[in-house]
Amino acid sequence: MGKSRAHYWFIGPAVALMLLLLIMPVFVAATLSMTDYSLGNSSFNWVGIENYEKLFSRRSYQKMFSASLTYVLVVVPISVALGLGSALLISSLRIGGELYKAVFFLPVMATLLAMAIVWEFALNPIVGVVNDVLRSGCDISWIHSMLSGSWLGYEPATSWYGAACIKKFPLWLGDKQYALGTIAFIGIWQGFGFNMVLYLAGLTSVPRELYQAAHMDGADSAWERFKLVTWPMLGPTNVFVITISSIRSFQVFDTVEALTSGGPSKSTYVMVYAMFEKGVKQNLLGIGSAITIVFLAFVLILTLVQVYFVNRRVHY
Amino acid sequence: MLARTNWLGEFFKHGVLLAGAIVVLLPFYLMLSYSLKSPHEIEANVGGFFGSQEIMTDQRCVKAGNPEEDCLMRPIVYNYTAAFKEAPLVRYMLNGVFVTVTIFIIQVIVALPCAYALSKLRFWGRDVVFGMVIFCLLIPVHAIALPLYIMLAKVGLTNTYGALIIPWSISVFGIFLMRQFFMTVPDDLIDAARMDGMSEFSIVWQVMLPTAIPALLAFGIFSVVAHWNDYYWPRVVITGNKDLMTPPLGLRMFKSDMDGNEYGPMMAATTVIVMPLVIIFLLAQRRFIEGITMTGMK
Repeated sequence: MGKSRAHYWFIGPAVALMLLLLIMPVFVAATLSMTDYSLGNSSFNWVGIENYEKLFSRRSYQKMFSASLTYVLVVVPISVALGLGSALLISSLRIGGELYKAVFFLPVMATLLAMAIVWEFALNPIVGVVNDVLRSGCDISWIHSMLSGSWLGYEPATSWYGAACIKKFPLWLGDKQYALGTIAFIGIWQGFGFNMVLYLAGLTSVPRELYQAAHMDGADSAWERFKLVTWPMLGPTNVFVITISSIRSFQVFDTVEALTSGGPSKSTYVMVYAMFEKGVKQNLLGIGSAITIVFLAFVLILTLVQVYFVNRRVHY
Repeated sequence: MLARTNWLGEFFKHGVLLAGAIVVLLPFYLMLSYSLKSPHEIEANVGGFFGSQEIMTDQRCVKAGNPEEDCLMRPIVYNYTAAFKEAPLVRYMLNGVFVTVTIFIIQVIVALPCAYALSKLRFWGRDVVFGMVIFCLLIPVHAIALPLYIMLAKVGLTNTYGALIIPWSISVFGIFLMRQFFMTVPDDLIDAARMDGMSEFSIVWQVMLPTAIPALLAFGIFSVVAHWNDYYWPRVVITGNKDLMTPPLGLRMFKSDMDGNEYGPMMAATTVIVMPLVIIFLLAQRRFIEGITMTGMK
């Protein structure tokens, strides 16, 4: 090799682009978060930590943090559990596993924005198919009694379904009580198939002999085998799947922008949407940059937690 | 223990998975079905999957002053023609193809030589550069959208193809993936090429590139899927100029421009945008799942 200078040409463009497009923006955001900068203004004022103070004191930003955290805390556990559950079921099937795998992975591939619009139609309170199906269940007595709990002797009107049959079914995206949950549902629908394929990959790496050993030790039921072998062996996969799901759900944007615009009454005002609304729509780049920095801090913390767990648990 | 057939268990598992599959497929079913049916059938939720395909009158065609007998058509024809007439769908699709393909080509041109240098060349500062790659892996590009947008606006690049492409020209993930792959390529191969008098430059493109095809394919699937489906970034840098819109952004415009309840044409447009990737996925399922899992480590 010796005198060759080829490596300058090979790493040069990549290093320049990394500095320009990934590292510099972080510093730009950090700097602007301490100003009142707007595009089109010739100058700006230094405001110190005022933007951050706003972020942690105003009610609308408290709603933002709470919406983002609630979304993550709902979507991550459910989509991880569904991913693991479907992977376990599929890997234990005799026939048809590949088919389910393809079906559950379909939403991961499909354009989320487009599918969000379809869900919006499906969830439309008047013409939507979801409320239509729920309403028609009210008139079929066995469905009504099962879902309202009246077959157990409860008063139908005290249950969610029974009460909804009497009054009306929710507006879903238009109701501040349900909007975030509905957005989370779409997130789970879209994302659990991704977790499923990661778990399927993790499951193939569990050595067969361990199951035989567990059998020798008297672990006969599926649950005991899972508890003794599968779950501990999936440790690294778990850490990875949970972190990646958290980072992905922190970044939720498409569904919120297209379906609720952060509303009703800021119940779905998640961080990336807030960043977009403040920074791009309202040209308040100072506060938008402050949200960027807090957001980056969250992602960094999540990644460091992952690194910690991977390092701690890697020696089995 | 594994030989014992548990038909009841098998039956139960299929039941659970089938219920899940119905929920997962519901929006795909609705999308296709709505794109075939008349407005009346959609609102009343009747007509099964295909609808009755009764001849209907295109109201907009009548309003435009055409005689009514020229405006009669089947709902399926109405929905799809309206989708292509109301929105420049073809343009959106071409933009989508152009942007995703260009991004992928640039990513490879930047990442491949860098990955080669990081795995096969020895030079001062190599570990620093690799450390930088690892550090950059931590930065989610969507999180730094705002400063990138400001920088692009400052140089007057918003509302151009450049704005859609430049921020994605560097894929640190691609560098990382390719480097890991090149580590497994034997040094003998490169030494032999050097003996033959090949320059480092031709080694990258004539020796390393062909060996990297499997990894490039996985990365390509990941990159194309991500950018075809991306809505956030185009939404930030493209404002109002329909000539530059990618499919998801175009669909969003269609939705906000929509007057009344044009569910049929809307769903036809959605189908046109979603189906290409879905069909390719169904044809090359295993490769897609492998590619996305392998690159899922992002």
